[in-house]
Amino acid sequence: MPPKPPPGHFNILYFASAGQYTSKSVEVLPAPLPLRDLFAELERRYNGIRASADEEAAEGEGVVIQEGDEVAIIPPVSSG
Amino acid sequence: MMASPDQNHPDSLSEDNCWVALTSSPLEIQSVVDRVRSPQAGAIVLFAGTTRDSFEGKTVVDLRYEAYAPLALRSMLDIACKVKERHGLKGVAMVHRLGVVPVGEESILIAVSSPHRQAAWRAGEEALEECKARVEVWKREEFADGEGVWRANRDGQAGERVG
Repeated sequence: MPPKPPPGHFNILYFASAGQYTSKSVEVLPAPLPLRDLFAELERRYNGIRASADEEAAEGEGVVIQEGDEVAIIPPVSSG
Repeated sequence: MMASPDQNHPDSLSEDNCWVALTSSPLEIQSVVDRVRSPQAGAIVLFAGTTRDSFEGKTVVDLRYEAYAPLALRSMLDIACKVKERHGLKGVAMVHRLGVVPVGEESILIAVSSPHRQAAWRAGEEALEECKARVEVWKREEFADGEGVWRANRDGQAGERVG
């Protein structure tokens, strides 16, 4: 598990192709951040990540990511 | 009964004769079969998924799996409990290996026990297909030419390249 984020931040986890795109498995971003703005923020940092992670509409209209939260980018899965 | 961790397996959850786990160690077929053994069962079906040495003609040297462990365990437990309920099973056990899995070794084991074999066959297949469709685990194939590719299991099709 990643360490607790510093005050005013949340953890974002990048798995599989998303981690390959960002060259990291976890980082901290400033909170609060409305969920609907998350991909714009990620695109600003990692141009093209949206297509890489095969983003589907994140659910949760009106959800705001808060300080200390954990958010994960989950590309299409491939267990088995 | 609440889902609870297992002393010997920190990366596991169990509830109501359903047991799921993630591990970086080689998988043990006998121990997974023993988890579902029951005097009320007339059948145990075991599925062992093993890592293949090629993808569309390219040589795969090894495979690596990663997981969002807390979520993957919850998804696995949900699948196990629902399959058990749907088919009247006596027990379900599922374990997925993480990290590097050398070619030819087991990456996933699923065991189900049931009073009669028909339900066990069907339940075993369903559990695997649901696992492949939605458990938060990812597979990377490392090819002999040095390239590596994260796979996606979409819609039950052969994995396709992502990223």
